Amino acid sequence: MFGFLSTDFRAGKRKDIQLNKLRQSIKNNSWIELAVRWILGLTFIYASYHKIISPSDFAKIVYGYGLFPEIFINLIAIVIPFLELIAGLALIIGVYPRSAAMIINALLLVFVTVLAINLIRGHEFDCGCFSAGQSGYASSSEVTLVRDVIYFILGIQVVLFEGHRRSCFGRIISK
Amino acid sequence: MVIRKSIKEIIILVSVSVALALVVNTLSPRGIALVGQWDITKGVITANPAGDAAGQKKEIDSVARAKTLFDKGDVLFVDARSQNQYGNGHIPGAVSLPVGQFEERIESFLNRYPPEQPIVTYCSGRTCEDSHDLAQFLSDVGFNNVRIFIDGFPGWEAEGYPIE
Repeated sequence: MFGFLSTDFRAGKRKDIQLNKLRQSIKNNSWIELAVRWILGLTFIYASYHKIISPSDFAKIVYGYGLFPEIFINLIAIVIPFLELIAGLALIIGVYPRSAAMIINALLLVFVTVLAINLIRGHEFDCGCFSAGQSGYASSSEVTLVRDVIYFILGIQVVLFEGHRRSCFGRIISK
Repeated sequence: MVIRKSIKEIIILVSVSVALALVVNTLSPRGIALVGQWDITKGVITANPAGDAAGQKKEIDSVARAKTLFDKGDVLFVDARSQNQYGNGHIPGAVSLPVGQFEERIESFLNRYPPEQPIVTYCSGRTCEDSHDLAQFLSDVGFNNVRIFIDGFPGWEAEGYPIE
């Protein structure tokens, strides 16, 4: 009986090791890292597009969140889209990929916080994530929240990755 | 060491973004002021207070003044909101002309009203600019007496004035 338990225990231990290995292999898989960089990069470049095209609409969305001081609303609306664009581009071409992922995760953290605060206090607003043009159209903030959390988890992979990063233009500069 | 490198890189990426953002915003015709007008007690909110000087002169910024015009009877109220919102309640006698459908609807509107018809546009109050856009469009097609009731339907309703 004890023998049975101990094999069970050993099997559990082996499972732990396997899980750990799996975690390590995901963390340090350079293909996953490359895919994540492209997914996040393209998403953020796409998301920046509409905001850059019509900053006044985006400013109104920032106002609509009801969380930012009035004097900063325009500056936020001017700068955030370019932060998304530059960080997205940096991820894709591989210039400072880890730092770009940190910026993207910092932005995601802000987005998630803003969404969560407004969900909790029942404040209705347009998320403005991808398109600013359609006023009065409020996409479900729950869906956006979950999506942003997934992006954040993806971003962590790029931040923690320690191996050789594929197709990085940045290596040429930094060497 | 790694942290210092990251901080340096982040500063570079952020600086490039901020610089590019300011340059593009300055050069772009769609650029906005660095500080907007986001105080609803001062009027309609807008990212571009400077660009709206012409519109501001046409503003009616008190519900009582709008009511006075309404009582005179010769002013046409035009609702810039969606058909749906109009259907849910509007100022009595107002005509629906959603700003998003201006091009499809303007022809029949022009056939019904002469250019000297006094018009007051409105939308959902001080957080919406649709009434300003509609007023601009109406001026562009020849109406020469267009004003904007900035408190819109919510302001009207809150005063307890009749709706239909």
